[in-house]
Amino acid sequence: MIETFNSLMMGFSVAFQPQVLMYAFFGCIIGTLVGMMPGLGPLAGISLLLPATFGLNPIIAIVLLAGVYYGAMYGGSTTSILMRIPGEAASVMTCVDGYAMTQQGRAGPALAIAAIGSFVAGTLGVIGLMLMAPTLASFALRFGPPEYTALLLMGLFVLAYMSGGSMLKTLAMAVLGLLLGMIGIDVMSGYTRFSFDIVELGDGVGIVPVAVGLFGISEILLTAGQADPPKVQQPTLRQLVPTKADLKLSVGPIMRGSVLGFLIGIIPGSAHIISSFVSYGIERRLSKHPERFGNGAIEGVAGPESANNAAATGAFVPMLALGIPTGPVTAVMLAAIMVHGILPGPMLIQQQPDLFWGFVASMYVGNVVLLVLNLPMVGLFVNLLRIPYAYLYPCILAFCILGCYSVSNSTMDVWIMLVMGGVGYILRKFGFDLAPVALGLVLGPMLELSLRQSLAMSGGDYMIFLQRPIAVTMLVLGLVLLGLALKPLIFKSKDWRSSVGLDENID
Amino acid sequence: MKSIVKHSVFALMAAAAAFAAQAQETFPSRAISMVVPFPPGGVADVTGRPTAIALEKVFKQPVTVSNRPGAGGAVGNAAVANARPDGYTVLMALSSISVIPEADKLFNRKPAYTLDQLAPIALISADPVILVVHPSLPVKTVKDIIALSRKQPGELSYSSSGVYGALHMPMEMFLHAAQLKMRHVPTTGGGPAITQLLGGHVTMTAGGPAAITSHVNAGKLRTIVSWGGERHPNYKDVPTFKEQGYDIEYYIWAGMFVPVATPEPVVKALRDGVRKAVSDAEFKDQMAKVNSPVKYLDAPEFAKYWDADARRLAAVVKVVGKVGQ
Repeated sequence: MIETFNSLMMGFSVAFQPQVLMYAFFGCIIGTLVGMMPGLGPLAGISLLLPATFGLNPIIAIVLLAGVYYGAMYGGSTTSILMRIPGEAASVMTCVDGYAMTQQGRAGPALAIAAIGSFVAGTLGVIGLMLMAPTLASFALRFGPPEYTALLLMGLFVLAYMSGGSMLKTLAMAVLGLLLGMIGIDVMSGYTRFSFDIVELGDGVGIVPVAVGLFGISEILLTAGQADPPKVQQPTLRQLVPTKADLKLSVGPIMRGSVLGFLIGIIPGSAHIISSFVSYGIERRLSKHPERFGNGAIEGVAGPESANNAAATGAFVPMLALGIPTGPVTAVMLAAIMVHGILPGPMLIQQQPDLFWGFVASMYVGNVVLLVLNLPMVGLFVNLLRIPYAYLYPCILAFCILGCYSVSNSTMDVWIMLVMGGVGYILRKFGFDLAPVALGLVLGPMLELSLRQSLAMSGGDYMIFLQRPIAVTMLVLGLVLLGLALKPLIFKSKDWRSSVGLDENID
Repeated sequence: MKSIVKHSVFALMAAAAAFAAQAQETFPSRAISMVVPFPPGGVADVTGRPTAIALEKVFKQPVTVSNRPGAGGAVGNAAVANARPDGYTVLMALSSISVIPEADKLFNRKPAYTLDQLAPIALISADPVILVVHPSLPVKTVKDIIALSRKQPGELSYSSSGVYGALHMPMEMFLHAAQLKMRHVPTTGGGPAITQLLGGHVTMTAGGPAAITSHVNAGKLRTIVSWGGERHPNYKDVPTFKEQGYDIEYYIWAGMFVPVATPEPVVKALRDGVRKAVSDAEFKDQMAKVNSPVKYLDAPEFAKYWDADARRLAAVVKVVGKVGQ
């Protein structure tokens, strides 16, 4: 413990060097901006900065890139809440209740809670990273394909409780998402499916263009179609500050989201998106008033936003303790330190203590910087709502197209986004909830890959899922959830949906 | 708002006019775009970026790296194959460039591009892959693996970077040469393939030297044999397949290409530029740091090298055939 404390002090002495501090600050600002741009996520941000880090010393390089990464996680919530456009993929869930709050004139509290939740989650995540990196890293390695399959199945069962509408419509949308996820090269055989000879579809349909199209473009179209343009909001200062009741409701979701997000984040794979979905599902399950979800429940902002920030921090555990990237973002960061001749791997913490501890300390600093940066900005961001829609929406549309294109320099992504915008518009006119489409699209391909990898490992024997303790535990949990979801269908007992009259006419 | 739009339109037009005027002068008279058909952080990217920086010094013009990932490299490769052949769009491709058209042929797909659409400029690096096993597997040599595999046919497993991918090909070469059968667990890249092995979910994989070094040093992976023609300088104690009596060789290489119709003077300028760039001390230093020593070949030699490699890989794809049939 004392050793940890001493090392951390050494780390702070590195992190408080003016140059390091400056780059941490710089990274956080860039990250926040990148996160706010629709479609442009942390990966695009740090890849653009990567070449610039070649000339810096490795500690500064990694501090800068990490700042961009978790800064983007902070910033991603802003456009989700204000305009229903996910700034980056992990903020999809925030669109649902965050935007509902904006429509009720409560954008300020939503933004503030997102920033506070992100701060708490980020800080708890760093503490977890500092105290348990090596232990947790070896646990993460035990997550092979069967465990991943079980985790994803659990995620899909959570889906059953996700939306505010009828079960039938929810499942229909989830199936649409899963079908979209089928597009692309089959990972096991190399066959291309549903690609219609379009090379760009070989890797499937990305979540970013689909989410921005479904949520953002459709919103712009819906607003444009209204006979009377919505009134431009004039938020007063009072409305910016979360009430005591808001804070009280958010404590639980923030804490749960932090722990959950961190644990899911350490598992190799693009887990930060899943963490926000699962957090939303859990908060709805635990809430005494689940009917508020989808209609501006602050818990629906606090939970997922905390979870995706904690997951971003959790992702550093295997990266620093084992030299294993959990996703493309950490892969780029590993490349950035390798360029300086530092070999990431199990020996990194012993061989480069100033790098590891300086990095940890800079994350404490970075989280404070982001909170200080973001809380006063809430007032500024909310003022965006004062811009008349005739000016605001064309600009947003332009940013959506730019952001989408820049992810992998592909015009195909822009087309996908525009088509999805049209599809989203029609579906919302018919009262379908779109969040399950995004969830299906994210989980479907991951589930298929890990299921078939598991079966390749066992030579086609399904017993592999019952021979591994972690997988069995999660499958049992998932089945319990499924049972709860099916109960009202079988026993015709009253679900909360019907008790609040939600089963029919939504929207 | 309006005036901003007006100004930027004007600026764009001015820039376009300037480009048009400069295009008449000697190559290169403006920025060169280097397409990397993989996401940032991978082998093509960490080779491409230092090359771009070194080329900038030679040409005194910006060389920008543009990542065009998708379909195992097919998207970026096809983009350059169909780009305007003026030398301002170049490709930093990996060895998989030769496999993709073969796989397209196998599945009767309309090919994304064909190899004769691209002309080689230079080979930048070539790394043999190395067979590594989980330390819990009681084997030390190729003979041990073959003996174990014969004792438990079909029980051993390996992970790869994806079906027909850069780490699948060498394993199939080995399995075919030794007449073995193993379970294949494809993943989504070189990194995930090694993660599966570290977690003990598979028993072996073929890994690039850069990716495995730290794990081998920490005792988390055990090296068995290398696909190189000679022993790797950083792995002097690891024998090659050739020494073990198997005539197989495999490298993950990175090389620069342009569209085939690029005019000869431009190709020559690019070849000269790359030759100077690879002898740049800083460039060599960068490449050594990412554990990927420079292996430079100029266009004529690279063309021969590429041809031999493409034929070798085409043969493997034919042997593998359609997976699962």
